[in-house]
Amino acid sequence: MRKGILELCILSIISDEQEAYPSDIIKRLEESHMIVVQGTLYPLLARLKSAGLLDYTWKESGAGPPRKYYSLTNDGHEFLDGLMDTWNQLVAAVKHSTRSLTANKKAK
Amino acid sequence: MNKVFNINLGGIAFTIDSDAYEYLSNYLETIHNHFRASEGYEEITTDIEARMAELFQERLENRPIVTLQDVKHVIAIMGTPEDFGAEPMGDEAPKSSSRGKWKFKTGKRLFRNTEEVVIGGVCSGISAYFGIEDPLWVRLFFVLITISGGVGIPLYIILWAVLPKAETASDRLAMRGEKANVSNIGKIIEEEVAHVSKKMSELGDELKSEFGSKKKAPRRRTILKENAVLPMAGFISEPPLPRGFMF
Repeated sequence: MRKGILELCILSIISDEQEAYPSDIIKRLEESHMIVVQGTLYPLLARLKSAGLLDYTWKESGAGPPRKYYSLTNDGHEFLDGLMDTWNQLVAAVKHSTRSLTANKKAK
Repeated sequence: MNKVFNINLGGIAFTIDSDAYEYLSNYLETIHNHFRASEGYEEITTDIEARMAELFQERLENRPIVTLQDVKHVIAIMGTPEDFGAEPMGDEAPKSSSRGKWKFKTGKRLFRNTEEVVIGGVCSGISAYFGIEDPLWVRLFFVLITISGGVGIPLYIILWAVLPKAETASDRLAMRGEKANVSNIGKIIEEEVAHVSKKMSELGDELKSEFGSKKKAPRRRTILKENAVLPMAGFISEPPLPRGFMF
């Protein structure tokens, strides 16, 4: 069920930052408890990149070796929009199906 | 007291205790093995190494040496390949299919087996590819289709022209669909040595019998085997031609 959700989060973080350094993505994912181990991110980034949704550029950093900064491609933006729609539909559907449950809880 | 190593991890130099070094290289090896089959293998592993370097830097602050504890700590943060797989994003199906594809592409390949040839090594290459113990069956098959329809000979010639020779140890492993790792290459090299020594003694026997029949000096056989055959080792890679003309 959580399939795709982590991708959605990663894509939206990158779209939010425009150019995102993986370690910053990790920080934000950890803030929202989206990932358990950091290694998970890298195969996902590689897969999204090979699907043509992401691209990266190398940038010099103040200290240490150059860093990869990921950004969304046009396809990536489109894909993210699509995912967001699906997500909103899903949320609406779940809310609708469970409304009696939540209403009961509130009533109690 | 502990020995230390200097390593370059993700472009950053670290001094690391020897036990920590062992632990870390084991971990990185499992990571590499896990992703070797995946698309973007190089990128994933270099990114992971770079991230680990960053974590070490953060953790060390001003300490000079990476200890075993640091390594364990950072590995716990990064997680093991099993953890990646167990993540909700595991996405088993595409992963396994891409692995399957990769296997098809580079795991097993059709070669001409130059170690067991009658004509061009096509049949023994095919039998190695399909895991058939004895290339005789494939040869028989070729003989049969030659007799019954006549396509055998042209087919054989085409395959002979198209298939590459299995020249290196890794070619021979790919021919049998085995992975080229250190232990397998070792195995191949052992086989090669056995093959060469077998060929040498065969040649020795041939020379002996020839020498023996012509000069009638059977007593000298053993000396010949030891001394005369060794300089001929260069010729044995091309096995003697006769041995049944059919395939």
